[in-house]
This record gives sequence, structure tokens and C-alpha cells, in this order.
Amino acid sequence: MKHDFTVVEELKTKFSALEFVEQTTSDGVPTLWVPKESIVEVLGYLKNEVLKPYRMLYDLGAIDERERKHREGQPISDFTVFYLLMSFERNSDIRLKIALKGEYPTAPSVTRVFQNANWYEREAYDMFGIKFDGHPLLRRILMPLWWEGHPLRKEHPARATEMGPFQMPEDKSIEEQEVYEFKPEHWGLKKSTETTDFMFLNLGPQHPGTHGVLRLVLQLDGEIIVDIVPDIGFHHRGQEKIAERQSWHTYLPYTDRVDYLAGVVNNLAYLMSLEVLGGIEIPERAKVIRVMLCEVFRIYNHLVWLGTFAQDVGQLSPVFYTFTDREKALSIIEAVTGFRMHPGWFRIGGTAADLPKGWETLVRNFLDWMPPRLKEYDKMVMGNRIFKARTVGVGLFNVEEAIEWGITGPNLRACGLEWDLRKRRPFSGYDQFEFDIPIGQNGDCYDRAVVRMEEMRQSLRIIEQCLKNMPEGPYKSSNPLTTPPIKDRTMMDIETLINHFLNVSWGPVMPPGESGVAVETIKGITSYYLISDGSTGAYRNHIRTPSFAHMQMVPFMSRSYTIADLMAILGSLDFVLADVDR
Amino acid sequence: MNEVVRAVIIALGILIVMMTIAASLIWVERRALALWQDRYGPNRVGPFGLAQVLADMVKIFFKEDWIPKFADRKVFVVAPTIIIMTVLMSFAIIPYTREITLVDLNIGLLFFLGMSSLGVYSVVLGGWASNNKYSLLGTLRAAAQMVSYEVFMGLSLMGIVMITGSFSLVDIVEAQRKVWFFIPQIIGFFIFTVAGIAETHRLPFDLPEAESELISGFHSEYSGMKFGMFFVGEYLGITLISGMIVTLFFGGWLGPAFLPPVVWFLLKTFVFILFFVLLRASLPRPRYDQLMSYGWKFLLPLSLLNLIVTGAVLLFMK
Amino acid sequence: MTIVFYIAALVAVISTAMVITRLNAVHALLYMVVSLLSVAVIFFILGAAFVAALEVIVYAGAIMVLFVFVVMMLNLGPASAEQESRWLSPAGWIGPGILSAILIIELVYILFTNARQDILTQSVAPRQVGIALYGPYILGVELAAILLMAGIVGAYHLGRYKNVFLHRYLHKELQ
Repeated sequence: MKHDFTVVEELKTKFSALEFVEQTTSDGVPTLWVPKESIVEVLGYLKNEVLKPYRMLYDLGAIDERERKHREGQPISDFTVFYLLMSFERNSDIRLKIALKGEYPTAPSVTRVFQNANWYEREAYDMFGIKFDGHPLLRRILMPLWWEGHPLRKEHPARATEMGPFQMPEDKSIEEQEVYEFKPEHWGLKKSTETTDFMFLNLGPQHPGTHGVLRLVLQLDGEIIVDIVPDIGFHHRGQEKIAERQSWHTYLPYTDRVDYLAGVVNNLAYLMSLEVLGGIEIPERAKVIRVMLCEVFRIYNHLVWLGTFAQDVGQLSPVFYTFTDREKALSIIEAVTGFRMHPGWFRIGGTAADLPKGWETLVRNFLDWMPPRLKEYDKMVMGNRIFKARTVGVGLFNVEEAIEWGITGPNLRACGLEWDLRKRRPFSGYDQFEFDIPIGQNGDCYDRAVVRMEEMRQSLRIIEQCLKNMPEGPYKSSNPLTTPPIKDRTMMDIETLINHFLNVSWGPVMPPGESGVAVETIKGITSYYLISDGSTGAYRNHIRTPSFAHMQMVPFMSRSYTIADLMAILGSLDFVLADVDR
Repeated sequence: MNEVVRAVIIALGILIVMMTIAASLIWVERRALALWQDRYGPNRVGPFGLAQVLADMVKIFFKEDWIPKFADRKVFVVAPTIIIMTVLMSFAIIPYTREITLVDLNIGLLFFLGMSSLGVYSVVLGGWASNNKYSLLGTLRAAAQMVSYEVFMGLSLMGIVMITGSFSLVDIVEAQRKVWFFIPQIIGFFIFTVAGIAETHRLPFDLPEAESELISGFHSEYSGMKFGMFFVGEYLGITLISGMIVTLFFGGWLGPAFLPPVVWFLLKTFVFILFFVLLRASLPRPRYDQLMSYGWKFLLPLSLLNLIVTGAVLLFMK
Repeated sequence: MTIVFYIAALVAVISTAMVITRLNAVHALLYMVVSLLSVAVIFFILGAAFVAALEVIVYAGAIMVLFVFVVMMLNLGPASAEQESRWLSPAGWIGPGILSAILIIELVYILFTNARQDILTQSVAPRQVGIALYGPYILGVELAAILLMAGIVGAYHLGRYKNVFLHRYLHKELQ
């Protein structure tokens, strides 16, 4: 994937007074350090003025640089905030960074340029204690309000054992409970207008319609939604903090749990960044195996989504049918990986094992089984008049709005933008396959469903091609960083023996550098922004998940609809709370 | 005195049979749903899982019967009994056969409508007394839905009343000796069935409960036997509506002579009960405003049209 | 039948008294429903089965449900109960009490003067009611219909809901 570097020149000519510092990263994304005072201006230029603009703020996050050793050529910085923009016209990204100094620094808020920066900046504040000037509502987002300290700072303990014995006296427990009481004025919401008193309805964190521990506080006029305040973080497990104490290899099973319906697709997203960082070439067979399993997981995810979505609008039966099919998909995954939901089966440099004997029969059976089932769902769900009445025209947003809010994946494609990184920036050998990218037109709940239904058919096509053209050869790279390394030459020469010993005992050591490769996962675009400081584990691992962005847009797209519509909207977005909270 | 004893025996018989049917419907529904959803359903307790009903009953009787502190205690307790009472009262006027009829009221049909309109109180009061926002939303939906659909239910039956010239259910069944009323009154049958589903708030019209939106709506706060009463009340409601459909449109106990009349009645009723379950297995739930506009903008004109056409045809035939 | 009548009458009187004295509006309305039901029973005993049924369907089953519905939405708290209790002070009920007493005296007087005449207990079938309504009383029915029509139009006007919280696309179109 080649990114467009002409933008660097464009920036330098436009802002000739400013001093940009260029940084090379392993992922090949143009990376520029910008003085923090001018970041809003530069972002505004990139979004609105430059030819072929960068319209989407794809990612925003922070890095605690205080303990980092390898920062050659980078400006002095205690904390760094980075912005990753995506251009659809150029099919290219740009990463901007600002250097902040001091223990609890302040950065200008970019929410005026990009609306979706709101939650990202809140997260950076929550995790690092960086304040953002001009942010409309800078509150903690993932951690509970009573939390002390900012977890992703290097001095914050990562394990409970480092924190002293846990105690919960009664007054503390009451205090922590009281934090959850919803006070509309804290969120800038009115309690009433001249003509109506609003009702505030607390939906979740335990509610059958939210698909997990999500809390939404609805401001209602009758049953009409005036505004929503999402309260996330109930599923937050500190994935990014954990990454800093695990080795590159042992972090892999954690990625399965980020989007717990996507299984090995998470592994792929993590490994794409990591393998770029380590410069590891993957053998063809491993690539095709990876693609095949990812597509099986895509179908698996969409089946779960279809069943639960139908149930959200009151149709009870489809979920039982789709779970039968899901079981068929799982039988392939189980036979190949030995696991069901969280295989953690991909490895740095390949996969954990070769395909088992007889895998062709399993896959063939699945390929024969699915098409008639999909036809049935088309009739039973998609063709149902009540289902259409509930979903057509509900939860509308157009391409511009989707881009403004950082929507990716099927939800973006349902608005009519044909943007699938599997085609646009082929990774893991996706360019070798023939498949179409289904798109919708209206960007409503129904179109999102149509797109996913068609995606299942396309995934079947890809799996069929994998089945027919599975290349021979090794399933693992011969690169020394491959974990666990290939053993056949271990006892032959000392070089391989040492590498093997080190890789198995403390894991591979990645060269210092930065890499964040955008990967089309099932729910949208995911990327793991990995920073290696030349050690056995990540110095920083920032996970950009699609569900986080989708969740942020829920209030915007649900306003003026009813509670019943909200359930359809939540169902159609296909988010996973673990993916939102990480 | 003989008359009184006979009446008491019939009343007790109907009560026991109906309660048993309602209870075993729990099993029927779960098994039938399972059949349509590629699963087994309860099949462990007793033959075919039949004793599941018993197990469920035992469980529900022994469950903690909790009344929330914030609830309006008196109303909270009274609410679930209303649904059981009104539905059981309606069973009194259904003619199971010519002989097994508790009361042949000359305003039988009106009595049924009256009782079903009183049934609304159960839902409305239960939701209000729970003092819970979800229950309140469910209650608001229920009140609007049931009051509206009662109108269409009443209007849909007037065609039959015009044809038979009587509100007595026995007369209505007798009038179907030549042809069952679902043929001349096909529209009335359709509207009555739809309104019947709405009255019993079963899926697809279960908006007052809507577990994916309102988490059981009006009975969110109910537990133990009070919840059980709503539950049994719902099944009694299904049985009642099915029985009424059979009485009004499918000739009640009438049928070829190789089976006794009461068997015919029960068989036909059972078919409609299964129809109710099938609906639940297959259809999604419309939105609240769609339900209301469907009623007022489609069913109301349709039922009025049915009335006018029936009247015109009757006058013409004279 | 006489016993049933007196029981029903007693229930009606007591529940009506409860309607007046309850502080909680919903409880008061429930007693009113009971009162209406007992009146329906009285109608039934007197042979007006059709009227009894309509009383249940229309008054108890529909109109009172709407009353309850509205009161529920008003979200009355302890403050309103206090207000109710203030209204029940002697100053509040003396006036209505005197008026009611006059009515009772009248009723007793009528009962004692005409006591020997049997109260008509002939059953009236729905058909007769219909014939009467659309025969001699057609004008009354028409007038009632016009009044109801006016009521519906008025209700439509009052209830026409102006949604202030429009979808953002609709906002754009309005501008």
C-alpha cells in the first residue's frame, strides 16, 4: 500500500511559516509533526481546502513518551497527540502529531473541525490526563467518574497487585453508586421546554435491546427521542494497557476479545501492523488460509447479527435458524483451530498450524448449505412487510454525515460509498480474489441489512475460491521473527538455535518503529497503532475500532425517532460493546 | 333446585377445563414454537415434557412474590386479578354445545365486549401501580391500543348481529347451520381476528410488553404468582378469542355427526390457538404509530364498509 | 332479585362516597368504575340489559379508561394529595352536602308518595331500544351525533400534535 506523499509538499507551501518535522514510519503513512498551536488550522485546511481533501478523522489518540528510548529525529515531547486523516479521493492517509510538554499538558481541541473528535479527545483525557482547550464536554468516557489517575500514563499500575489491597467500605460504595445518577444539567440537557416536560429514561446497562453493557440515557418527549447520552465503558478491560505488559506474541489472544464476534479477524488486524513493523513476508498458503478463516468469521458474525437484528424488531424465529448456520460455520473453525469464538490461531508470520486433513469436505458442505438458507432469510426477514416498515427510512444518514462521524464498513457502504479496504488497499492477498462490494443507497437500517446479506454471499464466493485454489507450501514464514519459529533447522546451525531459543523464551524483539495498518475487519476499519521501543512488547498499542465511532454517532442518527426505532438502529449498526470499550 | 345444581356443575366444569387448557397452553406454545424454530422445547419432564406445566406451576407458586417498595401496593395487587376475572366471566356466555351453555344471555355478545373492555384495567393499573417508567410507557401503549381495537372489534361483529338479528351467542351459532359466517362475513372475521390479537396483546401486537424495547412493559415489576396471573390471563385470553372466533364465524359446536359437538368446538378452538402461536413464531412487531394508523386508517373504514355492505345486502334480500 | 338490587345499590352509594373522599386521583377513579358497574347491575335487574351492557362498555370500559389514562400521565405526586385533603375540609363540603341533602329529601318524598306503584320490571330487548331510538327519538339521535361530531373535530384540533423535534432532514427542508 503506497500512500500519497504529495500532501507534504502541499502543506509546506501553504504553511511556509510553520516548521514541520517529518517522521518515517514502517507503515508508510506520511507522518508530520505540527506545532500544537496550528494543529486546528492545519486540520481545517486538510479537511476543507486542499485538493482531494482528507475528509475523515479516522483516528485520534495520545502517547506517553516519557519513558521511550528510541525517538530519533522526533521533536522533544512528554505526551504526543496524533491525528490520522483519511482521504477517499487519494486513497491515502496522513498522520499528524503534536508535541506536548509537562506532566498534565493542554492541547487545542479539534472538535470544531471534526465533530467525531469529541469522544476521541475525551478518551485521551481519560487515559492520559491531557486537557483539550475548547472541548464542549471534557469528561471521563471509559473509566468510571470516581477513578483516580489516568490509566495509560506510564506511572499508573497495570496490575491489581501493584495497587495495594482492594477495599470497598460502605461509604465508598455509596459514593460510587451515586456517580451513576443521571443529572441532565451535567450534560447540558434541558428538563423541559415551554410546552413539554421531558422524560429521562435510563436504558441499560442491563437491557435486552442494547446487546451488551451499554447505557443510554434517553431524553424523551412522549416516545420521541430528543437526545441521547451514551454512557460507555462498562465493558472496558484495559486492552491497551494490557498490551504494554504482554509480549508481542502473548498479546495475540487478547485481540480476539476486542470484537468478540470476529475471532481471528482481530488477529489479522493486529498482525498486519506487526508484520509491517517487523518486515515479515507471509507465504502464500498462510495468506489464503487467513483469508478463508476471516471470511468464515465474517459470515458467522453476520449470522449472529441477522438473528439478533430480527429479534430487535420483534421477530423471534430467525435467530434460531441463523444459530443453526452459525454452528456450521463454527464447525469449520473448530476443526481448523480447535477453538470456537476466540481461536487466537494466527501467529506472527503465519498461522499456528496447517489445515487439518479433510478440511475441504467441511468447507464444501458449508458452501452447499448456506445459499438456500440465505434465500430463505431473504424471504422471511428482508421481504417481510412489517420488517420493511420498521427499517426503511429509519436511522438515516448520508455519506457526508457518515464521513464526518468516522463511520466505516458496511454502515458506510450502506450510504452508497463503495469503500472496502479489501478492494481499495488489498492486504493479505485479497487482490487475488474475485468478489464484489455490495453497496446501499439510502443509508437506512434496511440498506445496512441488505449490504450485510449480500456480503455473506460475497464471502461465500471468496471461500469457494480459497477452496479451489489453496496453494501448497509452508504455512509459516521463515523469517526469524516468526513465532513460534520453524523448528526443522534448529538443531542444524547455532544461529537458528539461538533465534529459536530467544523467540520461544521471551518472544520476538521487534525493531523500534511505528506502524498502524488500516484493515477492513467485519464491522468496519480497525487498526492497531503499534509503537515498538525495540523490546519484546509494545511500548504503546492504540486500537482504533469501528464500533467506537459508530456508537458516537448513535445520538445524532436517532434524534426524532421513537424508542422502537432506536432498537432497530442499534441492531442495524452491528456493534459489539467489547469493540467500543476495548 | 335441579337447575341450580346443573348450572353450578357446568360452571365448575368450564372453570376447570379452561384453567387446564390455559395452563397446558404453556406447554403447547413452547413445543409448537420449538417445532417451528428447529429446536426441541421442553421435553425432559414427564412424557413429551408434559409435566413441564406442573413444574412451571410449582415454581411460580413458590417464587418470592415481591412488591416493589415504590409501587402503589393496593392497586398493584388488584391489577392481575382483573384480567383473570374478566376473561373467566366471558367464558360463562360461550355456548360450548346446545346443552353445555352456562347462560344464554340475550345480550351475550355485548357482555363479551363489555368484559373485554374491562380487561384493559388490568394492564393499565398494573403498569401504573408499578411506578416504573418502562411500565408506564407500556401502559400508555396498552391503553391506546386496546381502547382503539375494541372499537373495531365491536364494529366487526355488527355484521353478524345484523344477519342473525340477535346478540345471543346460541342464536348466532344456530344461524350458521346452513353456512358458517366466515364466508359472508370474511371481512368481519379478518378484523375480529386482528383486533383479538391486539386485545390479548400477543405478538405481532405485543407492544405493551415488547421485551426488546420496554422489557415486558406493564408487568416488568411483577414476579411470582402475580406475574403468573398475567401469564395465565394471556393464555386464557387466547383461548377466549379462539373460542369466540369459532362461535361467531366457524359454527361453534356444529360439525358432521361422527364426533360429538363439544369435540368439534374444542378442535376448532385448538386450531385457532395454534394459529396464534404460529403468528408469534413468524412475524416481527410493528411500531406503535404504525399499529395505531393501521387500526384507524385501515381497519375502521374497512369495518364500516363491511357494515354498510352487509346492511345493503340484507335489505336487498328482503 | 330484591336482595341483589339492595346490595348493588349499597355498593354504588359506598363507592361513590369513596370517589369523593379519596386523596389519590387514580384510586378515586377506580371507585367510580365500581360505582358505574353497580349501576349497570341495577339496570340489568330492572330489565334494561342493553343499557347495562352499554354502561359497562362505554362508561366503565372506555370513558373511565381514558380518565385513568389522563390522570396517569399527569404524574400527580404527594403535593396534589395534600391539595385534595384541603378540599375535604368542612368549609369545602358543607355546600355540596346541603344540596345533596335536598336531593335525598326529594327522593324520600317521591318514594313515599308513589311507593305503592310497582316499579316497571319489564325486560327491554336491544331490538326495542333500536326501534325506539330510530323511530320516535330520531331527532335526539341526530342531535347527539352532531354533538359528537363537533366533539371529534374539537378533539382533533386540540390534539393536533405539533412535533417540535423534527428529523434533521425535515429541518433543512423547512429552511
